[in-house]
Amino acid sequence: MEAAVVDAGSKFLKAGPAIPDQAPSMIIPTQMKRMPEDGSMDDSSLSEEIIIDPVVRGYIRDWDAMEDLLHHVLYSGLGWEMGNEGQILFTDPLSTPKAVREQLVQLMFETFNISGFYASEQAVLSLYAVGRISGCTVDIGHGKIDIAPVIEGAVQHIASRRFEIGGIDLTKLLAQELHKSNPLVNISMSDVEKIKEQYSCCADDELAYDKTKNSCQIEKHTLPDGQVITIGREKYTVGEALFQPSILGLEAHGIVEQLVRSISTVSSDNHRQLLENTVLCGGTASMPGFEDRFQKEASLCSSAVRPALVKAPEYMPENLTVCSAWVGGAILAKVVFPQNQHITKADYDETGPSIVHRKCF
Amino acid sequence: MYGGDEVSAIVIDLGSHTCKAGYAGEDAPKAVFPSVVGAIDQMDVDETAITEKNSGSAVDSKNIVKTLDSDKAKGKRKLFVGSQSLGFRRDHMDVLSPLKDGVIADWEIADCIWDHAFRECLLVDPKEHPMLLAEPSSNTQQQRERTAELMFEKYKVPALFLAKNAVLTSFASGRATALVVDSGGGSTTVAPVHDGYVLQKAVASSPIGGEFLTDCLLKSLESKGMMIKPRYAFKRKETRPGEYQTVDLDFPNTTESYKLYSQRVIASDIKECVCRAPDTPYDESSYSNIPMTPYELPDGQTIEIGADRFKIPDVLFNPSLAQTIPGMENFAEIAPSVRGLPQMVIESINKCDVDIRRELFSSILLAGGTASMQQLKERLEKDLLEESPQAARVKVLASGNATERRFSVWIGGSILASLGSFQQMWFSKSEYEEHGASYIQRKCP
Repeated sequence: MEAAVVDAGSKFLKAGPAIPDQAPSMIIPTQMKRMPEDGSMDDSSLSEEIIIDPVVRGYIRDWDAMEDLLHHVLYSGLGWEMGNEGQILFTDPLSTPKAVREQLVQLMFETFNISGFYASEQAVLSLYAVGRISGCTVDIGHGKIDIAPVIEGAVQHIASRRFEIGGIDLTKLLAQELHKSNPLVNISMSDVEKIKEQYSCCADDELAYDKTKNSCQIEKHTLPDGQVITIGREKYTVGEALFQPSILGLEAHGIVEQLVRSISTVSSDNHRQLLENTVLCGGTASMPGFEDRFQKEASLCSSAVRPALVKAPEYMPENLTVCSAWVGGAILAKVVFPQNQHITKADYDETGPSIVHRKCF
Repeated sequence: MYGGDEVSAIVIDLGSHTCKAGYAGEDAPKAVFPSVVGAIDQMDVDETAITEKNSGSAVDSKNIVKTLDSDKAKGKRKLFVGSQSLGFRRDHMDVLSPLKDGVIADWEIADCIWDHAFRECLLVDPKEHPMLLAEPSSNTQQQRERTAELMFEKYKVPALFLAKNAVLTSFASGRATALVVDSGGGSTTVAPVHDGYVLQKAVASSPIGGEFLTDCLLKSLESKGMMIKPRYAFKRKETRPGEYQTVDLDFPNTTESYKLYSQRVIASDIKECVCRAPDTPYDESSYSNIPMTPYELPDGQTIEIGADRFKIPDVLFNPSLAQTIPGMENFAEIAPSVRGLPQMVIESINKCDVDIRRELFSSILLAGGTASMQQLKERLEKDLLEESPQAARVKVLASGNATERRFSVWIGGSILASLGSFQQMWFSKSEYEEHGASYIQRKCP
């Protein structure tokens, strides 16, 4: 039986059997709704429901909800049978606290009774997906942005940075902007989310963004409940916020500047390697125009620290940016489990949850 | 007695240049960030607002009101910690350090730095982890009691231990007796360690450290006309496809200390890339014809560095060289009492008992950021061979990996806190409550 690979993000949970070169078989939203009578299910819409997010800003926070979600994923989604659980590989975001990792291992072995476990950092896996072991990943997700230089499979924690802004903040920004230009229309967050995915894009550069203040294409969009709203400059604002965080009200530099500073912290022998192998991943990075804008801003940096983006191999699925951590996990699972480098049930019973720090890095 | 089970300790080393923090048992700290903070004095912001509004009103009453206000709001400042927050330029932001001469002087800032390390870098709750703090060899009893008070009362740690930097470095190399040469950001300290205890009377220190060398380099480049523009002071624009132009940005409200801080960051990068310790003592004539090394600054300008490559590191060995650099005249006041590195080593060893001198000579450990400069180990060995007594076998040891040298104090702490036999040596919360902070002198020698 194939090992399972699970990448639990703040918005989407990617799961599937470990077959590299393929997109994950399940991409489901992590958000769940609690129904009053029985447990939680995914995505059914009835009144009187509470929305639960088990994964907040990349880290698992609500363990009961996570348990229910994994139950659904493993038994209904992947088709595992009770009593015959297989091996599973999880992905961790940057700077995961030790306690969270230990709790995950405990959950998997004690509640789900799996036979083998491995956990790896998302930054390293995204690099494996594009066929590199050293480079710099810029992971722009729903709940957080991670910038992590990796050298020969080891994340340089000293130089890596994590920001608690992500797709969710961009959605809030878009909601604010749309409310300003369409004051009479009430739009729910999930609709704003869909509008963001459909319309948002990045301006070519800062000058082009300033020009949109004066003249911009206005598009009309019909909401599910029939109301019509106009979208003009807002679609560029969302993309611009990543390069000018002052739009979000944050005192920070744009994403390319942060990347350059992060790489400068590493010793200069490795700069070349890191700059030439920069990978963009995460849902928000698949915004149209983002990559080109990133390249453009990068060319403005001095040639000693100019990042260059890596092209994904042709045999990889189309939407690699969104699920690169999962694909990397599938590649790693093919190596780790057959070679018995993972944590087995016997190891766990002998040592306890802290074995995750010794066996998985 | 604290019997920890499976809860890993946290090791923090608050140095003069960077603060290193991480879990015990790991081979490198997880969080490394500058140990300075950006402080915006709320009074400055209010003052400029007040003077702009009341430019016409009676001067006397305004002055009285202002002095009253400044007495009240003296402690109110907004602090920004961490390389991300410091990297962003803000109006009126001053760069302050909590340390003075290697020991903590400003407790509010030190508290802020520790808080940042726990809450934002490591993401841990200090209540659940014992703490191992590294302290300088010249720490006073009062400082240690204050540290213990702060840790137990504010952070409510379950157990604490304070270990001297020199002792931790010798643990990192697996020795109980060694002479530790710790050349860090703010100062250089030579301390002999015997059987795990620092011999206090023989500790020698000098104010020449990495930051001093960076300042020398900065002044030297300025005197040659090469101005280093801080990162925030320019922006590159694409005038035509393929052609770029650097535009200067002016921020009048940036403080001098922040500008200096940003320039130092760039200068220290130049120093790390380009500088090498010379094989023989530096003199102007022999180094006047060496080829220049190019270095590209962040704004695109390329500068050439020639003799400075060797002159700056030689300041460690011959401090009077610093006086020849234009701009460093204020150093002349303290210059007579400052000795070079080999002299400090010899002096320190001579102050120890005759019996252990031989052992100290054969295990001299190099630690600290500045000690990872290229060729420093070879030069020190050579100089010591000339000055030491004939019978002594001089051996300078330094781990090959530059990262290990930089973090050797932290690594020693990580090793110490994960030893089984150490678990009974913690100063626990119950002991603090029973005996008070002064008990720390007995528990942490």
